[in-house]
Amino acid sequence: MGPLIPQGIIPMGWDFVIALLIGIAFGFILEASGFSSSRNITGVFYGYNFVVLRVFFTAVVVAMIGLQYFDYFGWLDLNQIYVLPTFLSPMIVGAVIMGVGFIIGGFCPGTSYTAIAIGKIDAMVFTGGLFLGIFLFSEFFPFFEQFYYSDNMGNITIGEFLGISNLMFTMIFTAIAVIAFYVTWLIEKRVRKNHEEYKF
Amino acid sequence: MNQIINSSDRPRYINPYFGGVLLGLLLLLTFYITGRGLGASGAIKSAVVTTVDKVAPQHAESNTYMKSFISDDHSPMYNWLVFESFGVFIGGLLSGALFGRIKKLRIEKSPKISNKTRLIAAGIGGVLFGIGSQFGRGCSSGAALAGTASLSFGGLVVMLFMFGTGYAVAYFFRKLWI
Amino acid sequence: MNKNYIILMSMLLVLAAGLLLLPEKNNTKQMNPEELMWDIVQPTRYVTTDDVAKSIIEQDPLLMLVDVRPESDFQDFALSGAINLPLEGFASDDTRAELDYPKKNIVFYSNDDLRADQAWVLAKRLGFNNVYVLRGGLNQWIKTIIQPVEPAQTASAEEFSQYTFRKGASLFFTGTKLSTTATTKESVVVTRKKKSSAVAGGC
Repeated sequence: MGPLIPQGIIPMGWDFVIALLIGIAFGFILEASGFSSSRNITGVFYGYNFVVLRVFFTAVVVAMIGLQYFDYFGWLDLNQIYVLPTFLSPMIVGAVIMGVGFIIGGFCPGTSYTAIAIGKIDAMVFTGGLFLGIFLFSEFFPFFEQFYYSDNMGNITIGEFLGISNLMFTMIFTAIAVIAFYVTWLIEKRVRKNHEEYKF
Repeated sequence: MNQIINSSDRPRYINPYFGGVLLGLLLLLTFYITGRGLGASGAIKSAVVTTVDKVAPQHAESNTYMKSFISDDHSPMYNWLVFESFGVFIGGLLSGALFGRIKKLRIEKSPKISNKTRLIAAGIGGVLFGIGSQFGRGCSSGAALAGTASLSFGGLVVMLFMFGTGYAVAYFFRKLWI
Repeated sequence: MNKNYIILMSMLLVLAAGLLLLPEKNNTKQMNPEELMWDIVQPTRYVTTDDVAKSIIEQDPLLMLVDVRPESDFQDFALSGAINLPLEGFASDDTRAELDYPKKNIVFYSNDDLRADQAWVLAKRLGFNNVYVLRGGLNQWIKTIIQPVEPAQTASAEEFSQYTFRKGASLFFTGTKLSTTATTKESVVVTRKKKSSAVAGGC
């Protein structure tokens, strides 16, 4: 019955070995899908390469459905899963800043690690920037400490906030994802036809 | 490995949907084993805390944000996300080796800008992303990906606003990419 | 469009839709029969009338008395603060909901302890562990608490102090109005066990 480590089925000592292995798989999948290239990543915002949307949406949908089924079959106790707590205002602000950083930098932390692995200097600079950014944040933390902890909604789930069952949300989300896949397929056909050089 | 580079020299990637399914299954497995999802920015945070602690321990102690991550028994680097992120690097290395993408150090950018511009942009982007990830309690992997999969409302919010903002400002930075 | 994509998308949609159509999760975890047999022979499931009297007098908030006799008996006389869950309807879902207070100590009682014992076994099978039986039931209650028997002169000091306690309890219980209606249950806030992760912070 999962989750295995919090339940003691796998002893804590294995924690970090597993972390490493999972990370390796994560990095491999990211790089193999093309996330080690910043131009591939930003392609989703300009309509010439939708790999981010496809991988991301598919992964979220698969994991979401999988978690619900595992819980139903009793393989996993959903109550013991870490659900990210919601601090509404700071999270919105953070997401907006990250969005801008995403466009300018062309990476996100996980993908920048894989890009460093294949030798991209811009990824190294990006990661350095991350370091600096987090350092700056902690230095100026007292100024926005209040804000940082504001709007705490606890470990609220999406279903709880919207007032629908989580299973219903999963269905809706999956439907939206499939529609998005179809629409982006149409868009990509159009954009790529006009610009040969975007096939990287 | 020469035979893997195909004739038109275009990078070989796996099908994105396939990659997505794999990633989703990996995420599911991660939840099943550890009770938490994947993450990436947490490792950098640990690195920052460790560095400041080494260089100026008093300062680290007095900083309210960093203090919570310093423990007396072990270095802040002794942390799940750090090992996982190191694994991400190794995984990237493996995949790059397999698909022949490990080449000399290079910079990737749109042909319309200079290398310097690209590097400055990467730096600024990194700083912004670093700041944002602390407010957002995670980055695209931790908050958006794992958060939404575990049906956290905050995860969904971060995902929507991150990509939404990206689309909103994409036009202004198009020179960097297209 | 490539056939594989269509297959993949259909699979995802079907799986997601399947979630909505799944029947209600059957949550009853049956107890292992050996464990049950072991628990039955343990004497620790019995609590004495003195224990219960003490808890009532001290207004122990963790005590939950459950009268498993028929409703008419319950209306005639019941221990103060007890609720009535007749043995006959014990297998229903309502019972399970009424007993769902993991922090409380649930004590079943009846006239002697036969019905209470049966209720105890049923509750254990339903997965409740915090359940006990009042040894001797109400008959014992009358004999010890309401009309305590004075010990002989040669009895031990312990027996005397127990008698003193019982006399005091008798006054307490007969002096105050005997409750014949179930008091309103204080709703103990059952906090849904949400996640407590060993690792703090999301990403």
